Amino acid sequence: MARRAIVFAALVAALLAAVVCSLAFGAVKVPISEVIDIIFGNGGSPTDVQIVETLRLPRTVEAMLVGAALGVAGAILQGALGNPLASPDVIGVTGGAGFGAILIIILLPGSIALLPLTALAFGLLAAALVFAFAWTGRNRGSVGKVVLAGIAMLSLFTAGTTGLLAAFPERAPSAIFFIAGGLTSSGWRDLETVWPYFLAGFLVVLFLIRPLDRLALGDDVAASLGSRPQAIRLGAGIAAALLAAASAAIAGLLGFLGLVVPHVVRMAGGTSSHTYVVPASAIGGAALLAGADTLARTLRAPIEMPVGPFMVILGVPLFLWLLRKAV
Amino acid sequence: MRNKLAPLLAAALVFAALALPAVANAAPQPPKRVVALTPFAANTLAKLGVTPVAIGQTLGGAERFSPKLKNVTELPLSHPNGPNLEQLASLNPDLVFSSQTWAKGNQAMDELGIDVVVHDPRSVAGAFADTFKIGTIMGRKHYARDLLQQQRKEVEAAEQGIEKRPKVMLILGVGRTPFTFLPNSWGGDIVTRAGGKLLTGGVTSNSGFERISDEVVVAENPDIIIAVPHANEDDIPSLTEYLRSNPAWSSTKAAQSGRVYISVDNSLLQAGTDIARTIRKVRRAYLKN
Amino acid sequence: MEALLEARDVEVEIAGTEILRGADLDLRAGELVAIVGPNGAGKSTLVRAVSGLQKPSAGSVSWSGRELGEMRGRELARRRAFVPQRMAVPAGVSVREAVTIGRSSHLKPLRRLTGEDRDGVERAMERARVTRFAERDLTTLSGGELQRVQIAIGLAQEAPVLIADEPTSQLDLGATISVAGLLRELAAAGLAVLLVVHDLALAAAVADTVVVVSEGRTVASGDATTVLTSERLAEVWKAEAHLTEHDGRTALHVAWLEQRQG
Repeated sequence: MARRAIVFAALVAALLAAVVCSLAFGAVKVPISEVIDIIFGNGGSPTDVQIVETLRLPRTVEAMLVGAALGVAGAILQGALGNPLASPDVIGVTGGAGFGAILIIILLPGSIALLPLTALAFGLLAAALVFAFAWTGRNRGSVGKVVLAGIAMLSLFTAGTTGLLAAFPERAPSAIFFIAGGLTSSGWRDLETVWPYFLAGFLVVLFLIRPLDRLALGDDVAASLGSRPQAIRLGAGIAAALLAAASAAIAGLLGFLGLVVPHVVRMAGGTSSHTYVVPASAIGGAALLAGADTLARTLRAPIEMPVGPFMVILGVPLFLWLLRKAV
Repeated sequence: MRNKLAPLLAAALVFAALALPAVANAAPQPPKRVVALTPFAANTLAKLGVTPVAIGQTLGGAERFSPKLKNVTELPLSHPNGPNLEQLASLNPDLVFSSQTWAKGNQAMDELGIDVVVHDPRSVAGAFADTFKIGTIMGRKHYARDLLQQQRKEVEAAEQGIEKRPKVMLILGVGRTPFTFLPNSWGGDIVTRAGGKLLTGGVTSNSGFERISDEVVVAENPDIIIAVPHANEDDIPSLTEYLRSNPAWSSTKAAQSGRVYISVDNSLLQAGTDIARTIRKVRRAYLKN
Repeated sequence: MEALLEARDVEVEIAGTEILRGADLDLRAGELVAIVGPNGAGKSTLVRAVSGLQKPSAGSVSWSGRELGEMRGRELARRRAFVPQRMAVPAGVSVREAVTIGRSSHLKPLRRLTGEDRDGVERAMERARVTRFAERDLTTLSGGELQRVQIAIGLAQEAPVLIADEPTSQLDLGATISVAGLLRELAAAGLAVLLVVHDLALAAAVADTVVVVSEGRTVASGDATTVLTSERLAEVWKAEAHLTEHDGRTALHVAWLEQRQG
């Protein structure tokens, strides 16, 4: 218990630090005292107000939300499928969202304003196809079927994406940031479109935490306790699809986060109890993305790097170190 | 003596007969069958009075070609080789004017025994230099000199009488993460010559493009934003609206004064031969100086 | 006494194959019923079907007069606890946490544990005698300890019926004795206990009633000595054997090599 509390406290501290840095640092130097003034509505120069209020604040909120959503999506999928390799990639969401976004960027540039919704729609479509195939025929809803249908769907949509990119190489630069995964400074515009999907996803997750703990003791124990294992899996799949698709709509493809963060918090906390893993993954994911995004946009400022590859480079050594200790 | 000279003379004649073609080979013989994969090379060739056997056309690209090239075979270009190498080989070209974009194809062409020359001019001066090089390769130095003289004069004229030097952000691509043209890019040089002060955030890059923080855009507050997306004329209104309402830029002078423009042809993206016209168009339609 | 569980003519079909062709079962408070039968006879399928884990294709199952098909998960969880042969063992979960999960059928969604729930968890652990190692991780337990924890999880449900599928099949002699004693104690304290058992001598020793399942049907039910006759052992198990009981000790005398010689 104490260990979990310590890890939890450390994660919260990391998140706070990441958020403070995310608001305080950027390509344009704004004194920290002025940032504080601006955030509490006590003035500041108009340009700095613009920078902090319309660029940094929404971006920080997006980073936290997307990081939390992907961490939680990975945690519940790994729990529901009982598979350590599960992540939003595995239910097809990432592949679908990527294809939807590239479709708009490459073929329908005039409809660029629809990019978040299209990415979201295709992400959900891919997940729906995965569930439809996995939940029909014999052995419906089995973990193996879900994972195989997911990998097949991921391959299908990824093939569509790379096909489009190969056909229009001169248009690829516009798509690279989406595929690499990264946040943008586009105010509250994207969040205004997709917040209901985040909300719905997080709400479903709240009701899944306890059933997932039952499922961790096996399908039979869950059934003994009155849960339906297949329903828990489907619910977790839907919630993860909502969260991951909404995340992709805002920040592109950041699949790595959903895979690794739950493992890191499990190894650090020494438990796979969902009452701990789910909230810890949310906070850990938020801290990681907010921190990595701050680095991605300040290290070579004013040049911005995509946060996706950056996060992988930062995250993998930590992950491997914990993996070694975890036996 | 005469009898002794005869075989010597004969030997000299034989030697001369053998040597003559060798001497002719040593002098550069202009290639006959030429393929131009870039519009710049294709149009330069047209202006020099050379008709290539084929020109490159990207999928969905809106390359601007000289009317003289109307009946020339078009080779569709795709990743990563550029032209289909079998199709290209069947044209039996001596020389291909290619681009760095098709680096992989260029290597393959080289292995096929086709000479490859890469010209990707990223500045007006570079375009002039490349024009002369193409003229030299094609054995038309003379025409090239005339062409250059005319082009220089036109460009000089197009740069005359600049009254205002507005701050311009020139961006490439579609979406929420556009790249900014730097001075060492074709579009960057054109806008600078047209009298614009390019917004760069102090960044330099070999590629000529970089993704610049929106914070810098807000801080530097450009008077004009010109976007160069891959899009059609029809898309201009929706793209303009999208860019103007971008929360990151909506406070800039450009967005406030409605000076967000979209350039859908490739004139700012790729080097062309109608340089003066492009500069004049930028001044007239965007910079209004 | 009123039957807590009444199952009649239960049939189960899995992927087109008939596993259960007609099984009856009755269970009363304080009674320990052991289901025995050869491999593949349908013992596990029967207890899963009456527990609601496997949908019957025909027949009727009622719990205290309520039809199985009419009950939702939560209601069913209050009527019976099902202890699988071997549960999944997640890493980093302590015994107390696992037993607390067993209590969760009492909780409304999103509600926290009340003091009463915590008492229930402690009570279940004490009855299953796992309190001593309550803080240990499940992954560190021996087979016998883990089986007792599984029973504790079932007890935390506080249902009047505990159903266990082969609880002793993977245990050594000592652990088997300990688990068998525990189950007998629970029945003595008023719980109805339904077991699937392989070991006929064990079944005869602990069960009030032995139910024999053969080829998907319940073929006999009653006191061990009257049900597990030599004739039935020969017919159902194809074994030459007889059961003896003396002073609460049971033994199965088997002619292990007889048939091969014959």
